[in-house]
Amino acid sequence: MILLCSGEVSAKHFDALLMFAALLESCGHNVTIDARYMPEDVLKPQKYEAVPFLVDPEDIGADTILVIGAEAISRESQVILRSLNLGPDASIRAIGCFADYQGEINARNKIADATGRDPTLHNLNGSRTPALLEGACTPLVTRIAAEPEQSAGKLSRVLVYVPCDDLEDQNALNALAATSFSPTLELHVLTNAKGKDLIRRSRHAELSVFGYSELPPADIVNFVDVIAFFGTNVPGERMAALTMAAMGAGKVVIDCTTSSGFANTGAPVIKGPEDISVFSSYLHEVVTRNRLEIGHRTLQSTWLKQFDLTVLERDLEITATSEVSTPRPSQIIFFPTNGNGLGHAQRCALIAEAMPNELNRRFAAFPSCIDMLENRGFECVPMISRSAHHTDEYAADLVNSLRLRNLLRAGDRLVFDGGYVFDSVYRTILSRQLSAVWIRRGLWRPGQINPTALERERAFSQIIVPQEAFAELNADYSTCPRVEKVGPIVRQTTMTNEDRQNLRDRLSVEFDQTVDTLAVTMLGGGVASDRTSQTQLLCSLFEQRPNCLHLIVAWPNARISSGLYGWKNSHVVQTSQTLALCQAADLTVSAVGYNSFHELLYAQVPAILIPQSAPYLDDQERRARAAADRGLAALVAETDLLTLEREVFAFLEGDKAENLRKALGDEVLPALGNQAAAKLIAQGGGQ
Amino acid sequence: MITRPKIAYVLDPRFPGGTSSAVAAELECVSQTARVEVHAISTAMFPGQPVAPQLASVLRRLNIPLIWDAAEISGDAVILHNPSCLKFQETLDTTIIAKRLVVVAHENFLRPGGAEAFDVARCLDLIARCSVTLERSIAPISPWNRKTVEQWLLANPNHDIWSVLDWDWFNICAFDRHPPTAFPTDRRGRHSRAGFEKFPQRDVMNLCFPQTAKQNTILGADNFLGEPNTPTYWTLYPFGGVSLAHFFEQIDFFVYFTAATWRESFGRVLAEAVAAGKIAISDVDTAASFDGAVIGASPADVTAIVKGYLTDPDRYQDDVLAGQKKLEQFSSQAFRRAFDAFLMPQTEVST
Repeated sequence: MILLCSGEVSAKHFDALLMFAALLESCGHNVTIDARYMPEDVLKPQKYEAVPFLVDPEDIGADTILVIGAEAISRESQVILRSLNLGPDASIRAIGCFADYQGEINARNKIADATGRDPTLHNLNGSRTPALLEGACTPLVTRIAAEPEQSAGKLSRVLVYVPCDDLEDQNALNALAATSFSPTLELHVLTNAKGKDLIRRSRHAELSVFGYSELPPADIVNFVDVIAFFGTNVPGERMAALTMAAMGAGKVVIDCTTSSGFANTGAPVIKGPEDISVFSSYLHEVVTRNRLEIGHRTLQSTWLKQFDLTVLERDLEITATSEVSTPRPSQIIFFPTNGNGLGHAQRCALIAEAMPNELNRRFAAFPSCIDMLENRGFECVPMISRSAHHTDEYAADLVNSLRLRNLLRAGDRLVFDGGYVFDSVYRTILSRQLSAVWIRRGLWRPGQINPTALERERAFSQIIVPQEAFAELNADYSTCPRVEKVGPIVRQTTMTNEDRQNLRDRLSVEFDQTVDTLAVTMLGGGVASDRTSQTQLLCSLFEQRPNCLHLIVAWPNARISSGLYGWKNSHVVQTSQTLALCQAADLTVSAVGYNSFHELLYAQVPAILIPQSAPYLDDQERRARAAADRGLAALVAETDLLTLEREVFAFLEGDKAENLRKALGDEVLPALGNQAAAKLIAQGGGQ
Repeated sequence: MITRPKIAYVLDPRFPGGTSSAVAAELECVSQTARVEVHAISTAMFPGQPVAPQLASVLRRLNIPLIWDAAEISGDAVILHNPSCLKFQETLDTTIIAKRLVVVAHENFLRPGGAEAFDVARCLDLIARCSVTLERSIAPISPWNRKTVEQWLLANPNHDIWSVLDWDWFNICAFDRHPPTAFPTDRRGRHSRAGFEKFPQRDVMNLCFPQTAKQNTILGADNFLGEPNTPTYWTLYPFGGVSLAHFFEQIDFFVYFTAATWRESFGRVLAEAVAAGKIAISDVDTAASFDGAVIGASPADVTAIVKGYLTDPDRYQDDVLAGQKKLEQFSSQAFRRAFDAFLMPQTEVST
């Protein structure tokens, strides 16, 4: 086990620790970082990068201590080094850019004084020709591949680094946008957060953009065959590390900087145009046809070989110690987001159930849906929900990222169902290089449809969009070629009149009352929209009705008003058998989430629909109106309590329910998409 | 008539701590027997720092001007204190002209284990290149210091222009003496600058300052203060946090071990403790500088040594007094005798 430490506790040194840890880990080293080197002001992406490596002082059990940035060792770092409880055989190695022999002695003395044992030093300055970036704290070394790790085929994946200042020139953005339209290029732009924001606010908002520190260099490099750098010089350690990783993987690196900052070091880069407006033609004429050959030559570079990680490993006498993963069959992990109800988990379960049994299917699931999934026979790895009690707003997702990372390995498939792709999901897919599927139902509100919400689809090899039952509710939100549309994914149960009567009889026994009228209310958890008034009204109406049983279905984590527990005919229940209840009921009052709505629709259950209206939900109002306009349901606005009362009366005393049931029976609905989605995932399409 | 020899001192006077105290005492002593010039060189080691107060004070008292960065330094003998202050220098922009040039080592050339403590060759070469002299000597300041100098020269034979003085250019220890207590208890303490090299690893600290002791007082404990795992039975003060007099009132045993990878070149602090009427215990090599005034031991033996004295208070008093007696060999008078002998060949008779 290697414990990484650093000369200073600072943002720069911590970033260097993260990049070096990722590099060592990718080469099979068992590596950790002493958590005390994490500065207070850590960026969100750094937290995710750090999670797999951080270790608390009391848990440190390293046999090798590796101190990077050792040319300047601070007192704070010495305090940390001093407190390391090292075993008798633990060795200490220090890496730094030592200007001279005295610099080496200083580092050696400081480490020796703090730890009580002499370190072995490795001078990155050494006898090498100029490094890509002088004075870098990150050891700028790389694994060198045997062959170029580039994509096959005519499509070239190109990443272009452009400083924010350059993006303020509209012509630069126009040129990038024009380049991105080339059918033989997949273009991504890399810039800082300000530059990314600038692009998102421009008329070229649909460009694929990466923030400078959004992902580790080792993950970004997997997106590309070619990287080009514009600007004045090598733009910092992260980009230098990215460049080293790219060269080591046999990608093409193009130096378009005005100072030829990359080329002047002797690095195996090709010099490109400083003018971004001619970049597209340069790419096509010079690079894309020859990129494999350039990659081969890059890997042969004597300059690059000086920075081979294996040389550093040899000098430091560290060898990869990670145990070879135990062989196991690949698995498909479903990860439904935690919505207001069980919809995402329900949909994933339906797809998983439609898949062949020989496929190894498991779930990463939030606590609210674990019971339901386990009852259906799926093994679950628990994920953590966000909580106001967490001191870090990303705490839950950080732990989830660690769990996903431990759960998945290359060859597995991750199926995520949700609107917002968590960082944990996005990063695990990229770091584990997974084949991943995004199940993304539609009917987003207008404000939700934007490039930022959609940009993470680039991590997925396939996006499956379950359609709405009514055509006008379906729309395309992206032009991604990996999007597959399938019919509505819906749970279906058939219920005979006898089943219906049996269920009502069981309820009669369970609640110890005669059931002449059965009403079911499922208006959501009260989190997205408060439906206490509507539910209380319904309780009041059903209280006056003899032999009436009113079941109020509470979602997991629902906020239940205490006032609901005082009614004689009304009862709050938790169940996963909502559809059966609705099929057996005389009246169903429901919110209009994707699952509830389509289950009622396909099961031909007449219902009063009261849409929920939180801004982060789908557009339930449109969905309900589409059904109501076709005479397939009653729509009641959230504020219209008198209409609700009238509709209840019409259902129970009039013939509205029967009329709706007949209309539902006559309606021709699209074929279900359960099987199609299952097949797409099983085939691993889009890999 | 007899002309007093001219002695030119060369040093960076901004060096804090014991080295400056030692040089200050030496100036006071030597100025009685020679004409003294003091040349300051502004090295890259102490940029922006003031002259050490103990040096400034003695120069004022002796009415010796501090000459900064002179182009030429000359004397019958030139004494350059602490060559390690040149370790960050690319050049030494002066010319030293003297019959004898003595470089007083102060810092050990090697650390325990044999690693170089600083870039010795760079420092010695800088001095050699800028000096015109008949004899270049290195003056160790203690037996241990001598050992490191000799070992370094042995390993670097291309530096054979340097000889080693045959006597130790010791630190003058002119501390006030205090009688030992008649009733010693297990009150232990240590005092040093807060540097990491001054402290051993935690396991050694635990042996030296155990929970069983009645009191453990650590002055200069800046790096322990605020640490979560520091024992609550240690009384910690930052460097300078209490007066030395107050510190010594709180202890009967001065227990002083350093990082295993570092060693004091002299250990003035131990002599100070003995003068204050305490039993002083240190590692064997450091204790060897004091000819028995300091007890040499391993950390594991400290508690047994302390217990031995607690059961025999008379022996405690006898040993402290004997130690104080032995400190006389580090007195001003002793240094004056040694220095006069060193100067003897330089004294000229003019007519």
